[in-house]
Amino acid sequence: MPSQPPLPPLLTPYLSTFPQSSLTLVTSILDATGNWLVLRFLHAALSTSASSNTAFGAEGLHNGTKKKVVFVSFVRSWEFWRTEAKRLGLDLARLADKQQFAFIDGLSELFYTPQAAHATPGVSPAGLGSTPRAILPLRSQPGAVPGRLPAPASTTEGGSTATPGQAELGIARKLHLYGRGTAALDALEKDIVSVIDQQRASMAEDEELLLIVDQPDLLLAATGPSMGIGATEMAEWHVHATVLTLAADSPLIHNASTSGGHPAPPIETEHAAFTIGLAHRARSVLQLRNLETGAARDVSGVLRISRGGGWSTGEEDGLEEKDVLYFIQRDGGVRVFGRGES
Amino acid sequence: MAPVTLSHRRTHNLLLISKLLSLRDSASPLTLLLDSLEQPATPLIQEYLRRAKLSKAHVTLIAFETLKQPEGVDAFVSARRKSAGDIFKEVGAAYQPAAATNPSRRHLIIIDSINPLLNSKRADPGFHLPSFLSSFLAPTSPSAPKAGASLVVTYHQDVPETPPQNPYSPAPLSVLTYLATSIITLHSFAHILAQKAARDRSLAAPVFGLDEEQDGVLLGRSDKLVGTRTAEGIVLELEHRRKSGRGVLEWYLLPPESRYSPQQVKEVVTLLDDNPLYNPPTEPDRDAGDEEPAIDQGDGPGEGGRILYDMGEEDDFDEEEDEI
Repeated sequence: MPSQPPLPPLLTPYLSTFPQSSLTLVTSILDATGNWLVLRFLHAALSTSASSNTAFGAEGLHNGTKKKVVFVSFVRSWEFWRTEAKRLGLDLARLADKQQFAFIDGLSELFYTPQAAHATPGVSPAGLGSTPRAILPLRSQPGAVPGRLPAPASTTEGGSTATPGQAELGIARKLHLYGRGTAALDALEKDIVSVIDQQRASMAEDEELLLIVDQPDLLLAATGPSMGIGATEMAEWHVHATVLTLAADSPLIHNASTSGGHPAPPIETEHAAFTIGLAHRARSVLQLRNLETGAARDVSGVLRISRGGGWSTGEEDGLEEKDVLYFIQRDGGVRVFGRGES
Repeated sequence: MAPVTLSHRRTHNLLLISKLLSLRDSASPLTLLLDSLEQPATPLIQEYLRRAKLSKAHVTLIAFETLKQPEGVDAFVSARRKSAGDIFKEVGAAYQPAAATNPSRRHLIIIDSINPLLNSKRADPGFHLPSFLSSFLAPTSPSAPKAGASLVVTYHQDVPETPPQNPYSPAPLSVLTYLATSIITLHSFAHILAQKAARDRSLAAPVFGLDEEQDGVLLGRSDKLVGTRTAEGIVLELEHRRKSGRGVLEWYLLPPESRYSPQQVKEVVTLLDDNPLYNPPTEPDRDAGDEEPAIDQGDGPGEGGRILYDMGEEDDFDEEEDEI
């Protein structure tokens, strides 16, 4: 099968133009994951700025707006994204070096209580209590220490701290969740915003900053009501121009209504409220799902692009709604086509 | 339906919606907009803003969802992470200068989504929805200006509610629908047409979006529903409670914004029943008054059989030109 261009032509307009402070929602289900789409977002944002650095004005396709990306990932590691991006011809580590790109790791140490010295200044250590001592003998994590410094550090500092090495390179920050309720979310937000500010500091006038958050619904599932984190608290958290991926499997969406007199379990209710609430705010919603007619050899799934509740009537023809098929080839290339086309 | 009652209904109900949307005579102090992902309330809010601008009313937006101040909003109050009491204070503070200069100015308060307030985990135990809403409408201090404030509250029907802390208190939606003086439920025109087409053929009405209960489908709305490309606009299902207690139910159609100029004063909303796509005219109007041609019975054998025809204006008969 012929290799595909990294950006499917049908999708290019949806991947590369974002109005100020808009929210784009990508929903996926277990059988139709959104990783490939996230990678296309990354590529659309980063490859142009990479090419315009090397050969200026090589492509007139993307309106010439340069972009920086801050990428927060909650369920997949840096290693995963780096390898996958490489298959698209995108060197994330190098881009991170050039400060085009910043990766925030929300996976590896999210529930790992950091050492006392690393505590975020803004948060009272109420949730920490007596734990820090027990942690001290463990190997020091290089990601957190340089992050406290004003410099956009870890890429430069990463080598100087003795341990893990290459894999840690390019991770701007690791997120830690401690405390409860909004205080915990505030701390996370602060961490993310500090990275955003670092990026913004080195930004040229005409550059745009894109925030991609991969599967923050993990927090809902992993913390739950006992931590005082619900859909409302989560939704308040996203206040940037953002691409967000969420799961929309039907158990998570459709079990929320009380059926047969049984009250719905909290995670279903919260997840549905979170996802649907965000869809109400989103400018566009990209929904991935299975083929209704069953598995096919040359179709991986269906992508529906709709306007969300936050789409403003002002931009009449800015966003065309579509229902297209996609196929992920063995080499990672993706073909996107309409029904009946091949 | 007899034509007399339809025209009667048309006059009355168009006047009513015009009054409601333009906030005239404080016809509805608390309007509840029930929307869903299939038809968000944004176009209707835009219409409220447009009319408020024309009538120079002061608009306050209490924003739980909106990030940027939209055009036409005079005071923007971000409600993120704020308690009900703080929100109320901020709204009062934002309105104060405008009220001081022109106390008779109408005041429109829009809450872009009430759901976060109802579902918040941090809700203080003292939070009481009816008193929160009525605090905007009834100025607490007697010195406060007596300008008629109207509250427009959007509620997303498809966002599930968290179970109430007190199992004996009514669900927030019940409280809202009980308090509201008008309830406008929004529907997509294309969906209404599709459902009507199915009903006309005695088929089960199709469902869209979340109701499809399909894995991975949140939104089913699409502009390109087969055969309804021109079916733009939104359908408003209005329930208005008069002071007398009598309710008015009516279905309206709000055309898309691009169809009229922002300055247009004439009513743009029409009755849904008047729309040719929804209610296709069965036959042209001209035929309505006509009867079957009468045939002359004649007096005796051999006579009669002629068609009797009274010439009308529309025949444009010229005596001199056409001789019979």
